[in-house]
Amino acid sequence: MLTVFELALRSMRQNVKHYYLYFFALIFSMSLYFVFTSLQHDQDVQNMTHPSVDFSAGFQIAGVMLIVIVGIFTVSANGIFLRRRSREIGLYQLIGLSKGWVARYLMIENILLGLGALLAAIICGALISRLFVLVLLNLLDLEGIVGISFSVLAAFKTVMVYLLIIVITSIQMMLKVYRSTLLDLFQADKRPDLTKPPKAVASAIFALLGLALIGYGYELSGHINKQLFVNALLMLGSIVAGTYLLFRVTIRWCFYLFRKRKDGHLGLTNSLSMAPLMHHTKANANSLTLITLLSVLTITMISMAYSFYYSVEQETRHDFPDDFMFENEQQEALSFQNELEKEGIDVKHHVVEAVLTKGVILDPNDESHKFEEGLLWLPAEQLKQTDADLDMPPDGEAILYNAGASLSGDLDERYPTEIELEQNGQTVMYTLRTVMERNIMNLNAPGSQLLVSEATMDKIAVQMAGTPGYKKIRFDTFQVPDKEELATASSLYAKSVSDERLYYFYAQYKEVLQTTGLLIFIAAFLGLVFLISTGSILYFKQMTEAEQEKQSFKTLRQLGFDVNMIMKGIIRKQAIVFLLPLTIGMLHSIFAIKAASFMIRSDTTFPASIAMVIYTVIYFVFALFTIGYYRNIVKNAIS
Amino acid sequence: MNVGETVLQARNVHKTFGTKGSAQHVLKGIDLRVTRNEFVGVMGPSGSGKTTLLNVLATIDHTTDGTVLIDEADISKLGNTALSAFRRNKLGFIFQDYNLLDTLTVKENILLPISLSKISKRKAESEFTAIADVLDIKALSNKYPHEISGGQKQRTAAGRALIHQPSIVFADEPTGALDSKSASSLLDVMEKVNQQRGVTVVMVTHDPVASSYCSRVVFLRDGKIYSELYRGDKTRHAFFNEIMDVQAVLGGDHVDGF
Ligand SMILES: Nc1ncnc2c1ncn2[C@@H]1O[C@H](COP(=O)(O)OP(=O)(O)OP(=O)(O)O)[C@@H](O)[C@H]1O
Ligand SMILES: [Mg+2]
Repeated sequence: MLTVFELALRSMRQNVKHYYLYFFALIFSMSLYFVFTSLQHDQDVQNMTHPSVDFSAGFQIAGVMLIVIVGIFTVSANGIFLRRRSREIGLYQLIGLSKGWVARYLMIENILLGLGALLAAIICGALISRLFVLVLLNLLDLEGIVGISFSVLAAFKTVMVYLLIIVITSIQMMLKVYRSTLLDLFQADKRPDLTKPPKAVASAIFALLGLALIGYGYELSGHINKQLFVNALLMLGSIVAGTYLLFRVTIRWCFYLFRKRKDGHLGLTNSLSMAPLMHHTKANANSLTLITLLSVLTITMISMAYSFYYSVEQETRHDFPDDFMFENEQQEALSFQNELEKEGIDVKHHVVEAVLTKGVILDPNDESHKFEEGLLWLPAEQLKQTDADLDMPPDGEAILYNAGASLSGDLDERYPTEIELEQNGQTVMYTLRTVMERNIMNLNAPGSQLLVSEATMDKIAVQMAGTPGYKKIRFDTFQVPDKEELATASSLYAKSVSDERLYYFYAQYKEVLQTTGLLIFIAAFLGLVFLISTGSILYFKQMTEAEQEKQSFKTLRQLGFDVNMIMKGIIRKQAIVFLLPLTIGMLHSIFAIKAASFMIRSDTTFPASIAMVIYTVIYFVFALFTIGYYRNIVKNAIS
Repeated sequence: MNVGETVLQARNVHKTFGTKGSAQHVLKGIDLRVTRNEFVGVMGPSGSGKTTLLNVLATIDHTTDGTVLIDEADISKLGNTALSAFRRNKLGFIFQDYNLLDTLTVKENILLPISLSKISKRKAESEFTAIADVLDIKALSNKYPHEISGGQKQRTAAGRALIHQPSIVFADEPTGALDSKSASSLLDVMEKVNQQRGVTVVMVTHDPVASSYCSRVVFLRDGKIYSELYRGDKTRHAFFNEIMDVQAVLGGDHVDGF
């Protein structure tokens, strides 16, 4: 007589074959969790990075997201597997084994499988964590080799995640065993989820409601940064609910109408695509919604991270148009230049003579807003020599250059406006034509940067001389075109000036690069885990369905339909199953990125498209796998 | 129509399942000739190889040895595509376990065989109505297989086998799950199809009443043909009694040997 344990072991050995992808996905995500937690707690890694980069928080958030996705993944996969094994579960009960026995049997098998995955994950994690550190260092452009030691804490946390998974799946198994009747178990694959025709009025209402909710979510994405928290929650809620309704009601309703119109003359291709999809509407709605939302999350996350990373140089340039800047320090500038030339570094030097005054920029949207600030008047003719891409303002007019303009509020209808200058009780007005979203002097230059013609500046200098806050400033700016030389020049600069002025292009660039590098590192791996999870869920689902439909394929082949005719139907089904969540997910992501892009000043189109293309390609690989699996089954359905 | 012309011929057909060590010799040299417009019954104890023979004759399974000719052509020489097309256009099947598609309604199941042919929808609809009326499953059109009884499934399977007007119908116990009234109405349909449309029928059955509809009954035992009976001009009742006599000698359904 076999014991429960032996039986579980035996069935496990058979099942490992079926579960290899599940196993792989589980090991992959758990090792990643182990690596992330190891890095989070590793002091050496943290010491190497810029103090302002919060390393461990990044990894901690990533770890939480990993737990969530691992949870979702195991619950879905386990649900699919249980459904697939319904008949087996029923059979055990039919031959007189108690429900308790069956539940115990399933749980033992599950614990052993999970234990294998856990061990593999910790071993893999420990092995690859060094590799991870190397990749990370490379990405962050850091020197030095870090030996990362095995983290007991991380291993402990990984075991906790494993326990969590076991608890959730065990509950799921007990529910399945105790809550379903024998008939349920035996007919699991035969009985459609919903045979009754959808109620016309209710369906129509819910179908349209789904579309309306999605539309509302999209509409919100345009102005999410007003009342950020409320709007973000509203957008999330309406899109999630809308997507579920779309899959559960809208699409089913369309299918139903189509099928009803066909009145039995469905044709082979539809019989193999639409009919099985409708057969499992409920399960399909759940998994397709889940997959769509995970896709949105992944694409948005990767796009945003990549956009941040991609725009580092450009954004830093917007803040720091010059590599180095000296303000009224002709002497230091000269000696710095000499030093550079001694090193043989090719450098371009320019001088800009500007005027600083006090004044008020009026806000046409808010008359009461009168805030006196420093205004830096910059001569266009002089700057034209350093920056070819300048608009020459006409006499008496100014253009504001402010890299942070869009971050500090709405730009709508703010410009053109007026600038108020006060001198000896007399008010003079200048027109402020428009604003450019970049700086024309480095961020650390004093005052708001106003570009005017040289004549205008001279006039203001004469008018305002002697007023409080008035100052003439000579800027010495330096540009080092060569990247390598810039690094050398930057270290020379850092040595030659006192600490408080360590605020220049290269330093800023490095710091932001580290933050965004970390971001993209985490996002890329998280994205990979998400992608593998969603892909696997779809693949498992299709694999199970393919097996359930085996008899149908056999019958069809016996009736004289050949492999290619059957594959046509299957490919259409796969197209629906894979393309529907992908396209809807893409569409959602476009709006999600749009909503989130207020955080980024530069254009997100290019990085977002790259992220989407990569996602689509990997997704298609899963679709091809699935189709290959089906083809095999159809081919072997009849010898 | 040329009565007496051979449509289906098996020559010394052998079928073995499994590999050498545990090989099971199921068909041991079957010779059978079916002429056009014949209604052949195949009887024999359970496990005697009736389904296997039917599958081999119907090109669904390969022979281990021997040849099967359909319309004088050796089917082992036909390519897969040609065989598929042949089955689709010329053959009809009623499987022992129905093999309906769970995801399709009764009507969709029945219309499946003509789904790829160029038949107009109106023509297909009238064919369907005619067959569904005869088989008394019109009211079930929009039901799914899991919602109907075993006998109703069997009639649906019969509808699917006949809708595309095949020239040979292979039926594996088509009346197994039917009460005597529905059984005889299905057999009436098959007889009508056989006599009016000239469709050749090969039918496996356990039921002597069902085989009394046939023009010839072949008895199978231990993978060989044990004997044959022709109905000739006999009444169905007389033929039935003759079949019963052979069955008594052959042994009951559940006796595999003496
Ligand atoms: N695919 C197969 N693989 C191995 N053995 C098979 C296979 N199909 C049938 N057999 C064996 O061949 C023998 C004949 O089977 P077959 O199904 O032809 O019997 P049958 O006469 O149709 O019986 P029944 O009246 O019960 O339907 C049986 O002993 C069966 O075990
Ligand atoms: Mg049989």
